[in-house]
Amino acid sequence: MTYPKKIDLHMHTVISDGTDTPSEIIEKVKEKGIELFSVTDHDAVKSSALVKQLLKKGDPAFVPGVEFSCKDSEGRYHILGYNYDIDAKPITQLVNTGHNYRIEKLRKRLDFLESEFSFTFGKQDIDALFSLDNPGKPHIGNIMVKYGYAKTKEDAINNYINRFHSKNEYVKPDDAIKSILLSNGIPVLAHPVYGRGDELILGEDLVYRIKKLISFGLMGVEAFYSGFTSKLQNEVLSLAEEYNLLVTAGSDYHGKNKMVTLGDTNLNSEENYPQSLKRFIDMVYNKK
Amino acid sequence: MANDVNTVVVNLAGRIDSNNANDVEKDILLKLEQKDNYAVILNAKNLEYISSAGLRVILRVKKSHPDLKITEVSTEVYDILEMTGFTEMMTVEKAYRVVSVEGCEEIGRGANGTIYRIDQDNVVKVYNNADALADIQHEREVARLALILGIPTAISYDVVKVGESYGSVFELLNARSFSKILSTEPERFDWCVKEYVNMLKKIHSTIVPDGKLPDMRETVLEWANFMQDYLPEDKAKKLLALVNEVPYDNHMIHGDYHTKNLELQNGEVLLIDMDTLAIGHPIFELASMYNSFIGFSETNHEIIKKFQGFDFETGKAFWRASLSMYLGTDDEKKIEEVENKARIIGYIRLIRRSIRRKGLETAESRKEIEYWKSELLELLDSTDTLLFSTNELQVEAVKENLPTVLSFIEEHLEENGCYPKDRMQIAIAAEEIFVNIANYAYAPKSGKATVRVEVSKDPIRVIITFMDNGKPFDPTKKSDPDITLSADERDIGGLGIFMTKKMMDNVVYEYKDGKNILTIEKILK
Repeated sequence: MTYPKKIDLHMHTVISDGTDTPSEIIEKVKEKGIELFSVTDHDAVKSSALVKQLLKKGDPAFVPGVEFSCKDSEGRYHILGYNYDIDAKPITQLVNTGHNYRIEKLRKRLDFLESEFSFTFGKQDIDALFSLDNPGKPHIGNIMVKYGYAKTKEDAINNYINRFHSKNEYVKPDDAIKSILLSNGIPVLAHPVYGRGDELILGEDLVYRIKKLISFGLMGVEAFYSGFTSKLQNEVLSLAEEYNLLVTAGSDYHGKNKMVTLGDTNLNSEENYPQSLKRFIDMVYNKK
Repeated sequence: MANDVNTVVVNLAGRIDSNNANDVEKDILLKLEQKDNYAVILNAKNLEYISSAGLRVILRVKKSHPDLKITEVSTEVYDILEMTGFTEMMTVEKAYRVVSVEGCEEIGRGANGTIYRIDQDNVVKVYNNADALADIQHEREVARLALILGIPTAISYDVVKVGESYGSVFELLNARSFSKILSTEPERFDWCVKEYVNMLKKIHSTIVPDGKLPDMRETVLEWANFMQDYLPEDKAKKLLALVNEVPYDNHMIHGDYHTKNLELQNGEVLLIDMDTLAIGHPIFELASMYNSFIGFSETNHEIIKKFQGFDFETGKAFWRASLSMYLGTDDEKKIEEVENKARIIGYIRLIRRSIRRKGLETAESRKEIEYWKSELLELLDSTDTLLFSTNELQVEAVKENLPTVLSFIEEHLEENGCYPKDRMQIAIAAEEIFVNIANYAYAPKSGKATVRVEVSKDPIRVIITFMDNGKPFDPTKKSDPDITLSADERDIGGLGIFMTKKMMDNVVYEYKDGKNILTIEKILK
């Protein structure tokens, strides 16, 4: 079969922390000439459901996606889920659990801002926050700026919101992987060398992590990623080969929130794709 | 570095992690607005830490500005950049350690810098040029190349800041330069000559891959062209023709081969100061050597004392002894002939240098230039070629090179007026021996063979030495064949050495230092 020339399997919409709506992102994917794409919002499957409905005949091929923020005693992981059944119970339940954790965290943060700095907000703004699909620090920050509590969103996050520390509940990586598998999806570790945020995981640590996640049922790794140097990319590719994992390619596009170009995955379409990537594409095409 | 017209420098400071990576990125992008075609330098002098979130910012900037460069990176940050493959993707320059050379012993001085010992194990070469980073990079590359090609040298492991200039640091344990040995242990003069010439031959027998080093011939042509305005027309023309006649040669030359650039370290001789490395005919090397030992100090004998630590007479004797050994002859006439060729190039370099540095204004420099010029004019009258031959030839030991070997030997015999019959016998013997080396010494691989011809007079004695690094094999041990048998019945191979022994007066085999050394000698009536 001929494989799509341009692929981007990792991007965010306004449903989480991106700035494009699902219909905007479809337009941009088309503009970039991407032939196979997935929308992977944090802890949300809603955008994938929306995109699926919006797509018309002749539009690029689409794979439902999601990115779960996970944590266990040994660190943080971003687990991508692909090509799951959108209505499947296990994944929607996990999304709800994640959403509840976030709502709980939002409540704690607002309490902290009030008790520590006496920042209070009107009911309308608070209701608006809680009605968001994925309320996070930037959303609180924006409202603080509106009330004059902080000069900028960054000022709000760095000098006030980040002072709050608490033990938050997180989705566990094994729960995320199991839910994806039980929903007929493909669990993939996002940008493996970057745990989350500031972590850099290389060498033995990376092998240990991947082996552990494989024991939970991990099927693939994101080896082509906008934020990888060729050295990092090769490290992930060779691990994928060693452990017989599938490979995906994603930009992690966030709209205006990050300076990542949509479609930038460092995958060279002129070269023959590695078998591990071809296998992934075969799997998602055959399911349709 | 100053802000050039087409360069934007952005300073990175403190920590860059997920808390501020976005701000840092925005700040950078703001500074780069409408500067798409500018070279971008991220100065990391004050950067203490960078997390993966920060690395991704750099990667994104790199994508919009492919010529991005990061400078003054601390060791800690450099380690992170190296581990993650950033150093392969973009230019990353380390922050330089500051080193003072005040009160340090000067152990060497070359065209581009001075070498000081900074402690027992390390030396630093301080470059004259203030913006020397490119020079340092160049020297590192050529030193690495030389090492790969088999020349023992020291490779710099660190770049440091010395005052306003830069230096490159080498490990050099308990090393003594040949200049120091010559000036403190005169009894080791002969040893120094031997090692100095061995290294010189090693350099000159090293073939350099195309395009890796500059061609000295071009530089010398430039000097010859410069001289056109300062010489009478016919002499200027002759000079140009002489240089033009020197063929392209892809063997290595050091370019500044004097005794301060040869170090003895734990019994091993090391060549240093590699920035002048080039390719070219050995006459160019000899010219620079002549200047080092004689030319620079010819009008003022104090100069060499200051520079090398030994006096003018020692320098002159060392040069003569080295040249004699290098050419493989004691013949004063032959040595002087080659010296005169070297002087031609040596003088044009000195004249050009003096005019460019001091001009013709001072009486002192005018006097100097006049002296060199008068010598040069005389030499141009008496010299018809800059080419010369040594008594040693190194070739790949393959049958195809037999004609080269034979004509090399022939050339030396002719010069010394041997009879055709003797010449033929010597040629037959040489052919037997060389073909034997080509067939067996390195089989099934191949390797080098060296042929040395020595001719001494009264009576004329010809000694030819064959050397190879192949399997130890003593052909003289081969039993003489039974020549009473018919051609079909004879052993193959034994006949060659039999004939050689018959025709020569002496055939000696020796295995020494991993070398087969076969010497044949013929006394001519």
